[in-house]
Amino acid sequence: MICEMKISLTFQKQAYAVFFVIILSLVRGITYSDEIGIALEAPMAILALTFCADTYTQEIVSKRSEIWRLCPMKKRMHSIYRHIVIQEMFLLAVAATSYGLFFLFQNPNINGMGQGGIENEICQFFVYFAAIAVTLGFWGLLSNLFSCLFRNMWVGIGGCMVLWLITNSSIGDRTFKAWNLFSYAFRKLENSSDFSWICGKVVCICIGIMAVVALPKIIKKRG
Amino acid sequence: MGIKIEDLTVTFRNDVTAINHADLEIPKGIFGLLGENGAGKTTLMRVLTTVLSPTSGTLTLDGILYSEGNFEKIRKKIGYLPQEIDLYPNLSVQECLEYMGDLSDIPRQTYKERIKYYLEKTSLSEHRRKKMKQLSGGMKRRVGLIQALLNEPEFLIVDEPTTGLDPEERIRVRNLLVDFSEGRTVLFSTHVVEDLAATCNQLAVMKNGKFLYSGNMKELLEQARGHIWICKTKEERTARELEKKYHVSSKQYAGDELQMKVISETPPKMECSSCEATLEDAYIYLANKEL
Repeated sequence: MICEMKISLTFQKQAYAVFFVIILSLVRGITYSDEIGIALEAPMAILALTFCADTYTQEIVSKRSEIWRLCPMKKRMHSIYRHIVIQEMFLLAVAATSYGLFFLFQNPNINGMGQGGIENEICQFFVYFAAIAVTLGFWGLLSNLFSCLFRNMWVGIGGCMVLWLITNSSIGDRTFKAWNLFSYAFRKLENSSDFSWICGKVVCICIGIMAVVALPKIIKKRG
Repeated sequence: MGIKIEDLTVTFRNDVTAINHADLEIPKGIFGLLGENGAGKTTLMRVLTTVLSPTSGTLTLDGILYSEGNFEKIRKKIGYLPQEIDLYPNLSVQECLEYMGDLSDIPRQTYKERIKYYLEKTSLSEHRRKKMKQLSGGMKRRVGLIQALLNEPEFLIVDEPTTGLDPEERIRVRNLLVDFSEGRTVLFSTHVVEDLAATCNQLAVMKNGKFLYSGNMKELLEQARGHIWICKTKEERTARELEKKYHVSSKQYAGDELQMKVISETPPKMECSSCEATLEDAYIYLANKEL
């Protein structure tokens, strides 16, 4: 596990992820604490898709994939999934920290659009945490899948960016409504009891599961 | 048993034919593969390791046919050191090899013992805690070789294993390969003719995707016998003419005379004497005689 952490969480990757959220929490203005999730979801998706795109393509670039090919498929897949889980766990920790950074740097109004109060804030954080976990997992898995399919990290990032631009737009919101991949960011803040945005996260989970199932087939075929 | 290649052709999408209707039998023991850049050696190795699929032709390894259904079985028998490989730069030598051992599904205790043994054999024991990115090119090459040997493969494919090694290390690696080849098949590809001369009895010479020669090294040397000449001259003009007209495999000053080794079917029209052919001479003679 330590080897896998050293392989998938290089210093450079950790550094750019941390800088990304620090800068984001400094420059992205918010007024109410309810807006933190909205401010974070789409940028964190970009971080996840760039972070995870090279999970397997680093083996291709360094020509290690030619040796990997000789190893049992089960072992190869275990290793790739472990790399993904390690990266996703790191991103989740970064996402949780960045929520706190918004409080630190932006000093938002906690008695805003919702009911206010500490309990409500904690509840909001856990809802954010669940939503961002799904978002990070989805974009990480998808960019890795595209990268493996085309054996190129940049195609993985580019392909996901196109999808990101479509779904993270007013057109995407109008077209997909509650089923949008960014339904959590587009939710109505005034109505905190409206959880219809979960539909969008269910879509993310379903596509994510399909990506997990498809990955071994792609690795087997493309090497 | 060993490896049998029949009518193998590999054509890439850009219509470049890397291997052209080639036939070869690789017996047990250490087998050399010699050829110029772009001859098709690496392509052949990539086919043998199942990284590349051939356009046509058949291959068998110990009687097992190379086909999708048999790939898992074949891969278990193979160890491979590619020409270019960048092993995990952030891992130490020990960690990197343990990771590769685990990935190859070798029991933990077994791969630990083998790592210890091969680190000693390749003089890397004292560097085992160093990170891969801190190693020199030659050291990285040796770690690459250890990872190829870890699963004790029946068929070992090594592409330029001695690149970047100092003379002592080259000898050590060559001897390691010879020891390892007992009861196994080792395919040893290199540009360094000297390495093959020191390790192999059997070899194949490739050029333009075809095998110019396959068989015993002595027979290859025999083919070149009587076609290698030592010419001596004091005049630079004569030397230049010789170089234009013939293949000169070596030249050196001996006193005020220039001594040149010329490869030619017939003796050059000047003062010269026949000499024994080295593997390098035989290779150049063969490569320029055919095609």
